[in-house]
Amino acid sequence: MAKLKVNQLKKSYGSLEVLKGIDLEVQEGEVVCLIGPSGSGKSTLLRCMNLLEEVNGGEVMIDHTLLTDKKVNINKVRENIGMVFQHFNLFPHLSVLDNITLSPIELKKNTKAEAKEIALKLLDRVGLADKANARPAQLSGGQKQRVAIARALAMNPDIMLFDEPTSALDPEMVGEVLAVIQQLATEGMTMVIVTHEMGFAREVANQVIFMDGGLVVEKGTPAEVFTNPTHPRTQDFLDKVL
Amino acid sequence: MRKFRQPLMIALMTLLLSFIAPFAQAATTDEKTYQIATDITFAPFEFQETNGEYVGIDIDLLNAIAEDQGFKVEIKPLGFNAAVQALESKQVDGVIAGMSITDERKNKFDFSDPYFDSGVVMAVKEGNDEIKEYKDLKGKKVAVKTGTEGASFATSIKDKYGFKIVTFDDSANMYDDVKTGNSTAVFDDYPVLAYGANQGNGLELVTEKESGGSYGFAVSKGQNPELIQQFNEGLSNLKESGEYDKILDTYLSAPKSDEDKGVIGLIKSSYPSLLKGLGMTLMLTVVSLIIASILGIVFGLCRVAKNKALNMLGSIYVDIFRGTPLIVQAFFFYFGVPAALDFRISAITAGLLTLSLNAGAYMAEIVRGGIESVDKGQMEAARSLGLPYKKAMAKVVLPQAITLMIPSFINQFIITLKDTSILSIIGINELTQSGKIIIARNLESFNMWLIVGLMYFIIIMILTKVSQRLERRIQNGKA
Ligand SMILES: Nc1ncnc2c1ncn2[C@@H]1O[C@H](COP(=O)(O)OP(=O)(O)O)[C@@H](O)[C@H]1O
Ligand SMILES: [Mg+2]
Repeated sequence: MAKLKVNQLKKSYGSLEVLKGIDLEVQEGEVVCLIGPSGSGKSTLLRCMNLLEEVNGGEVMIDHTLLTDKKVNINKVRENIGMVFQHFNLFPHLSVLDNITLSPIELKKNTKAEAKEIALKLLDRVGLADKANARPAQLSGGQKQRVAIARALAMNPDIMLFDEPTSALDPEMVGEVLAVIQQLATEGMTMVIVTHEMGFAREVANQVIFMDGGLVVEKGTPAEVFTNPTHPRTQDFLDKVL
Repeated sequence: MRKFRQPLMIALMTLLLSFIAPFAQAATTDEKTYQIATDITFAPFEFQETNGEYVGIDIDLLNAIAEDQGFKVEIKPLGFNAAVQALESKQVDGVIAGMSITDERKNKFDFSDPYFDSGVVMAVKEGNDEIKEYKDLKGKKVAVKTGTEGASFATSIKDKYGFKIVTFDDSANMYDDVKTGNSTAVFDDYPVLAYGANQGNGLELVTEKESGGSYGFAVSKGQNPELIQQFNEGLSNLKESGEYDKILDTYLSAPKSDEDKGVIGLIKSSYPSLLKGLGMTLMLTVVSLIIASILGIVFGLCRVAKNKALNMLGSIYVDIFRGTPLIVQAFFFYFGVPAALDFRISAITAGLLTLSLNAGAYMAEIVRGGIESVDKGQMEAARSLGLPYKKAMAKVVLPQAITLMIPSFINQFIITLKDTSILSIIGINELTQSGKIIIARNLESFNMWLIVGLMYFIIIMILTKVSQRLERRIQNGKA
């Protein structure tokens, strides 16, 4: 049984249909990279997976929970799905430590002391143990994104969603963030990653999904999609980015 | 959240207390204490002494009668129009304010026996030799005070002599209009003008007294009949004992006041009243802003809520209070609502209510603006961590919004501080009202308004500087 399953998912903004019936499955421990041209609906799809966007049709299923069912407590579900944004979205009024401990404490997942201990361990893991008391404004882009990852991990999620985690970074900082994500992959975290880093996708992904115009055009292993794309639009896209 | 809780509690307590206070007072007060409204600017009938005490023919007579008849009075100087409205809406038990007994007023009020026979005279600026009789007024402007006998007399002859009438609410303003030359002459009750000229107000009487009406003490029609009876009995007792004449003499043959009328002298003689007024102004500002902040956060949140009903509620509140003048709101809460629902409300409670609700509407817009200027990604990041909307709002969005709101908040503080001056109209003794009262006595409007204006200016400058420093500290702390 798939960890995450999307079934005929549809989403429109007014009269603009952005997702036109998406089907995909993510297995436990699998790393899925979503690629495709800008405006193809990648972010929208990702944001539907934790219902940050209202869905107009179809289903999103995580484990045995149907997210698109109105009776589901979405806050509870979201505790289990970490999300990392292109622009980090750290809370600027809180220290790095408080950014990480806010939700575990507020949601009574941990006591203050536990939350702090966990946060410090996570910071150590992303290489920022010395930044616990810094403010987000004092960090570089790469450091901010690593804190954002630690913040998401503090809720101990089963699934992590990444929306172009390195697109807003200066080139020299891309590596440090990808390294953290790669580490998560080797630890067996289930992840969906929207990315333009094709080399990274080829290396860490178990499955690559190419989207265009609100539809899944092609999916397969990195070797299948990158080396032998079957669809001309995939080929076209890869020619442009590689 | 804990940081917010304490001021919130204090604000709620204050709100509660300010509502309960007038009722509590009513419950414990001796039944024989009557609340009597009067004018604030009608020397020699009522005016404030340098020490802040109210004196005058009306006040002294009323106190003497009360003593003679064994009841108590609480005198409320509201201004003539406010006093009459307060009596109509039964906010007070009676009015003594140099009020002429007229048929029209008899429809609404029950009057005592006349306690003073007045009459109208005309006065012009000292040294003006051109105006000697009514004929000379052709084409000129004449100042009168609303509702006075001088006003009705002037109206009755204005067509015959071809002059225009300018109406004032306040004697001091009316006299100033003549002194500055806007109006050529003033028609007013004889004792008032005689006293003023005697005090050196810069006017001189030019006509003989037109025999006119008489002043009476009034209660609401059918209310407090025993009070009228006691007043009448006391009055005749005082006349018999000679006390009545003594009181009149005290004021009508008063020697010229020797108060120092330079700016420094005025500050010296009036600073206790002015400081008291300033204290009231600051109290009104601070308390109403605390309440307004709570209202602002509640209704500001309604304004950004997805729920349509809440959204509508927020808009209606904001639109009503931004869409009507503060002065109308003050009249509505002080005169309108209590009259309609038949209960009493103290001027301060009504004033606080008005200011809080008014500033609350502006605060709601400030809060909405603050929330909307926080990056949408903040709410999304918080929600993606599993935080419910309310927690995300309270822990992530609002703290950032509040920092963004500080400059607008300071601005609102200053606006509300200045708005308190409007409450002088319902008789609250804040800074502007203190100024009015002092001017009613010494008629030094230029210097006094200069002093009052300076006091507002200095306070606002100090607050602005303090707030700016605070703002800088908060923003530095954030970075
Ligand atoms: N909040 C929104 N309102 C209206 N249109 C939107 C909104 N968000 C995204 N879109 C539109 O949906 C389409 C897909 O956007 P997005 O999912 O961000 O694409 P991608 O992430 O693949 O670049 C685009 O045409 C975009 O303009
Ligand atoms: Mg995108």
